[in-house]
Amino acid sequence: MQGLVPAATDGNMATEFHNLQELRHSASLANKVFIQRDYSEGTTCRFQTKFPSELESRIERTLFEDTVKTLNNYYAEAEKIGGQSYLEGCLACATAYLIFLCMETRYEKVLKKIAKYIQEQNEKIYAPRGLLITDPIERGMRVVSFFAV
Amino acid sequence: MPGFSGGGVGGGVGGPASAPPRPFRPSRYVPVSAATTFLVGATTLFFCFTCPWLSVYFSSVIPIYIAVIFLFTLANFCMATFMDPGVFPRAEEDEDKEDDFRAPLYKTVEIKGIQVRMKWCSTCRFYRPPRCSHCSVCDNCVEDFDHHCPWVNNCIGRRNYRYFFLFLLSLTTHIMNVFGFGLVYVLHHRQQLDTPHAAVTMAVMCVAGLFFVPVAGLTGFHIVLVARGRTTNEQVTGKFRGGVNPFTNGCWRNISHVLCSSQAPRYMGRWRSPQAVEVQPPFLRPPLTEAQLEAKVLDNGIQNDRHSTRSKSSLDQMESQSADAEPPPPPKPELRYPGLPRADTEESSLLTEAPPTPSMYKYRPTYSSPGRNHTALSHPNKMIRGESLDSPSPSILQSSRQPSYRSEPSSLDGATVVGGGVGVRRGGGERGEGPGGPGGTAVGMSGGMSGHSLTGRSYTSYPSSLVLSTGGSRSSSLRSAHTAHNPLATLQSEGTTDTSYKSLANQTPRNGSLSYDSLLTPSESPEFESAAHELSPQKPRALFPSTTLTGQPEVVSPGSPLQGYTSPFLSAQIAQQREGQLLQGSATFSSPHRAYLRAVSPPPFSSSGPPEIQHLLHHNHDPSSRAFRNPSSSSSSPGARSLEPPVSPPPRGLSLGKSQSYIGEAGPQYKPRPTGGGTVLSGGGAGGGQQAPQSTSRPALANHTTSKPGGGVKKVTGVGGTTYEISV
Repeated sequence: MQGLVPAATDGNMATEFHNLQELRHSASLANKVFIQRDYSEGTTCRFQTKFPSELESRIERTLFEDTVKTLNNYYAEAEKIGGQSYLEGCLACATAYLIFLCMETRYEKVLKKIAKYIQEQNEKIYAPRGLLITDPIERGMRVVSFFAV
Repeated sequence: MPGFSGGGVGGGVGGPASAPPRPFRPSRYVPVSAATTFLVGATTLFFCFTCPWLSVYFSSVIPIYIAVIFLFTLANFCMATFMDPGVFPRAEEDEDKEDDFRAPLYKTVEIKGIQVRMKWCSTCRFYRPPRCSHCSVCDNCVEDFDHHCPWVNNCIGRRNYRYFFLFLLSLTTHIMNVFGFGLVYVLHHRQQLDTPHAAVTMAVMCVAGLFFVPVAGLTGFHIVLVARGRTTNEQVTGKFRGGVNPFTNGCWRNISHVLCSSQAPRYMGRWRSPQAVEVQPPFLRPPLTEAQLEAKVLDNGIQNDRHSTRSKSSLDQMESQSADAEPPPPPKPELRYPGLPRADTEESSLLTEAPPTPSMYKYRPTYSSPGRNHTALSHPNKMIRGESLDSPSPSILQSSRQPSYRSEPSSLDGATVVGGGVGVRRGGGERGEGPGGPGGTAVGMSGGMSGHSLTGRSYTSYPSSLVLSTGGSRSSSLRSAHTAHNPLATLQSEGTTDTSYKSLANQTPRNGSLSYDSLLTPSESPEFESAAHELSPQKPRALFPSTTLTGQPEVVSPGSPLQGYTSPFLSAQIAQQREGQLLQGSATFSSPHRAYLRAVSPPPFSSSGPPEIQHLLHHNHDPSSRAFRNPSSSSSSPGARSLEPPVSPPPRGLSLGKSQSYIGEAGPQYKPRPTGGGTVLSGGGAGGGQQAPQSTSRPALANHTTSKPGGGVKKVTGVGGTTYEISV
């Protein structure tokens, strides 16, 4: 992953673009906070909305909770068993699952939305505070990690 | 694809921390090849020899129908074979760092009011989510693990269970079709059975008939599983036998979840798109206080909130303690013995030396050495965070599984557990499940940690009952509660045991080289874990509430202290409560001791109830008691009541008691193996006496060594329980 490091602008508030992978790697030993899954309702994907104390000084509680709650809503939508998922299943059976080669499943669609949402949150809210969220799918949806850059 | 990892090709597909390449094993492909051959071959023959006549004689719809079913079967077969079952990628090092040595082997979460245990996977470096299991064949943790199917040479998990299930259904239908229409053909050609067509048809019918019985049986089995919302793993290990399944949502919802839910995403081999994020310097990097760091390490979520706070505080205590301790020498087996005096510094060593990542990797070899199991050793608890627990307890505890499922009495080893008792226990133990199991007396017990009620039934099952009862609090109890400095030892020992489990798990090779560990630790195969062997360190914790050590009654069990003990233990409880103030938490150990003693020799135990408890309680307190408890009780029957009530500083006693309690717990488990539970344990438990206490607490060790007549000779338990003496 090539990092883009344009020349710093003048002034003290120079901004740099960092590749997230680089940041993540460099932050591998930095402080990280992991938000674990909330299994109180079974194995459906939910993350705990409890505010970790490590982030107390880094970000406002409401912002954090909003982020996690939105993520939870996204996942609930992805795992919802309803008409669309049923039709998807029937179509897949009818085509001997060849449809998966061309069509994206509902879950994958929502995952894309989630990735976009996380990206946007990082840009707008967390990067200015020196934090970054990683997409939980990268870790098998076991944790949401916040790491301080 | 598990079946294609041969030839040195990486088993994992991209993604983070992929599994290392596994050697090519042709034997793995035999069943799947045979299944494919039979399926495709028999059906092809059927189409060639039987179907032309069928289409002519009846109608051409029949072959078309059979072909559709066959294609559907084949498609599901391919999906079940080639689809990623839901493999979790290995956790990255940074995530593992949080769960350092201090982390227990199990974490409990509450799912719909039922305590479910999450085990630390040493291979994948994370706590396995509920229903996740590690497949030893594929060497991966699989989400919603069902089983590893050799016929498709793949694990069946969350992502491909649907296809596997449909494969079974369609295969049963297909077999019935083939057999049925073959029979029609044969009946119509009774006079021409010598023709090749008839002969082939009859051969195909034989193959179909042969496979029909097992396939139909398996299909029926899975239909029941789907309706009940269970996985094969859970059914086979009897997790919910007589209990409540927290993962079920009702028959209809379970079926629709299997068949109609959206295809779950895969975790491996995902393409990580590089994201450019603008980071504004300078950003303030607030210094994380020690407490915050500790919180980070320990805070594992809602379920463990209480525990984590407790553990955090305990960690703080430990931190302060370690700061004073001398730096420990590197963890080498040969240094271990001379390192006995280092026992005091174990804690500090753990704290100071904790490698950032991969946790304890460098300690792994040392810990897997037999020396670790020596009770005499101050104990290899480098892994255990600074807790002065005895080594045997970790090993013992490791083996025992603590079924956090309240609803899984059957998870206990059948050999040692009395089903009924277990059920009773469970009923009481589970807070959320009143009706679960025969919870008569158990219900009376306080929620949570109860389960001691079992005692009456079988002593052997006592530890398991304790294990069950301890359930959730265990993980928390480990770290928590011991804010007190000395008492930390005891309580921490509990925690340590868990920690030690995790660290042990990480290091313990599966070859069973560890003496007790190999005995104690059930295989990690997803199929079965014998819960019976698990001694829950929480047991002492459960008893613990009465102690004032941490001042956190919740640690042990919610609500009233020492609740959940049935009658045999009630007296103990009372005694403990009486002694509680003196013991400061050592009381918790009394019950384990009692358990241990009881398991060993039930008859005398019952008679001596309270006095024994008092003895135990006293023993807990005192390191000196340890010392002389060892000689008195060690070699003799585990049930020896030779415990004397010496007066000793509580912390030491606690640690001692702890070790002993663990030994005790180990005792009944291994009853079948070692006679009286004492002999084999020799090094480890010598009847739970000598060595256990020594290994548990550093002072204990010191006492032990000093008290030894030989002077400077330490008994160490090696692999297989052999004992040898080492001059210190």
